Amino acid sequence: MKKILIIEDEKILVDMYREKLSQAGFEVISVFESEQALVLVKKEKPDLVLLDILLPRENGIFFLEQLRKDPKIASVLVVAFSNYDDPETKKRAFELEVKDYLIKTDYTPREIVAKIKQLLSKG
Amino acid sequence: MIDFSFINEVLVLLIDFIGIWLAILVYQQNPKGKLNKVFAFMTVLMLFWVNFAYFARIIGRDQIYLAELFLRIAWFVTPLFFTLLYLLVIYLLEKEKEYQFLSNTVLFSGVGMALITNFTNFIIKGIKFIDGNLAIIYGFGMWFFLGIGFFLICATLYPLFKEYSKFSQKEKRKIEYFLVGIFIFYLSNTIFNIILPSIFGIVRFYYLGDYSAIFLLGFTAYAIVKQELFGIKIVLTTLLVSLIAILLLLDAIVFTPQPWLQILKGFIFVIFLYFGYLLIKSVLLEIERREEIERISRAKSEFISIASHQLRTPLTVVKGYISMVLEGTYGKLGGKVKRPMENVYKSNERLIRLVNDLLSISRIEAGKMELKLEKISLGEIIKSVIDELKIKARKKNIYLKWERPKKALPKILIDRDKIRQVILNVIDNGIRYTNDGGVTIRLKVKNGRLTTVISDTGGGMAKHELSKLFESFSRGLTGSRLYTEGAGLGLYIARRFVEMHKGKIWAESKGSGKGSTFYIELPIK
Repeated sequence: MKKILIIEDEKILVDMYREKLSQAGFEVISVFESEQALVLVKKEKPDLVLLDILLPRENGIFFLEQLRKDPKIASVLVVAFSNYDDPETKKRAFELEVKDYLIKTDYTPREIVAKIKQLLSKG
Repeated sequence: MIDFSFINEVLVLLIDFIGIWLAILVYQQNPKGKLNKVFAFMTVLMLFWVNFAYFARIIGRDQIYLAELFLRIAWFVTPLFFTLLYLLVIYLLEKEKEYQFLSNTVLFSGVGMALITNFTNFIIKGIKFIDGNLAIIYGFGMWFFLGIGFFLICATLYPLFKEYSKFSQKEKRKIEYFLVGIFIFYLSNTIFNIILPSIFGIVRFYYLGDYSAIFLLGFTAYAIVKQELFGIKIVLTTLLVSLIAILLLLDAIVFTPQPWLQILKGFIFVIFLYFGYLLIKSVLLEIERREEIERISRAKSEFISIASHQLRTPLTVVKGYISMVLEGTYGKLGGKVKRPMENVYKSNERLIRLVNDLLSISRIEAGKMELKLEKISLGEIIKSVIDELKIKARKKNIYLKWERPKKALPKILIDRDKIRQVILNVIDNGIRYTNDGGVTIRLKVKNGRLTTVISDTGGGMAKHELSKLFESFSRGLTGSRLYTEGAGLGLYIARRFVEMHKGKIWAESKGSGKGSTFYIELPIK
């Protein structure tokens, strides 16, 4: 069973995506802030991270910078998933090798599941 | 008789003093900063240039070899100075990586030219004295030197103009200061060092071109050191008023022998000072007013940006859960519940679009919208838009016809997402306002421009409606009468996106009830 880590501070959104992803056969873990997320990535080794950008304390870009610095976890697949579509932030996220930068309102949970499956099948 | 040699001596001393002061001032501000280092080095080169050119001129004909050596040093320094000026621009813009190739070419040309000037007779053959004034005997390579000089000037200005629009107001001001300095410098050099000596044979004002470098350094130093800059308009107005005041005063005191005329000119001087003061004050007022408007506009854009982001979260939740309900995640929907649920979903989608439009507008108006250009076939974009909208047209029982061009049309350099949004908006509009018949899409090429023509058989528009169609928050009369959907932002955004591509968008209609045709014209490049 593939493991997905959702880094998201809106509980209601976490519940919604967890429900859809679990239904689609994924194991879902979640965390609401960047620093804890880094600890969890090391411990749980998820197959893919769904990362919100605007988070409490340190933002998603901080998470990506730290992740890419640590050789043990640097290769984890990350999809940025936020309603904050500032061009500069997007550019930085792609520099830090996110697989995609998705705007939440553009996708239904089913479309997100399809996107995740597609990314995981590519590796 | 005015003693020009004395004035010259004073000017050189003054420039030396100001130059050294500026170099120390800028270097001390941040000794490790590349910009500061380049500026200090540039100032040193400028002092070499001005002083050696001055020495060459005052040495006189009895030491002609020494005069030539000094002159060659001054000329050796010139292309290096221009090269550093280019580097200064690159560091000022913080664009070292983007202009790597240009930087290497400039470095190669500048240093190469300096060496050729100093060590060969290709550019300077020798010197001579005409009426006590030093004149240069140019070699064949002089045109080559001017050509390289012209290239260095263009290379310096190119990134400045190219990047200008991307910068914040504060950064733009810095660039404007620099541009004024550079303009005075280039203009003086063109007049005094090129046009006057080579066309009119006048060499006595040579030094004025050299000395103008101090304006460039002065404006640049001010832009680097000062955090909050006055608008360039106020600086130029003050400079101009001061210059005229000095000339009036000099005229009254030095060049007017008759006391009664002196009094009259003194009176004119005082009146001028008063009006000059009023002029500066009014410019200052105008700048303050404009800044206030800009500040309010920025605050508005920021507010829209934050509000939009905050709005999107609950919209995502509504979209997500309703879509799951409709998909049957929580069990099969009864016939009566399905339709209202679909309506909630559609309304939510409309709200999302509205928020996206507001965000786009706030970005366009804040100058933050950038184009990601790539060579794309417009036909492909049209096809994908039609695929997306055909269900909507079918539901209204109208046709959506794509008249493919018979031969392949050229790919054009556009931002895929933005142009797709433009075409989608216009076709979607056509479907929305057409109840009988349908929408036809064609492509045509004319005069190096590719035009997408979208005609519908819908409500049509009166002339006065056509003119307001692409403004924000306005819709055709038919639209506002029959439909409530859409806030009239789509066509406004479409116009702004097309204009960003240096294109044109407009609509034509023979009147109400006679259908409309929209044209989206884009340059082929």
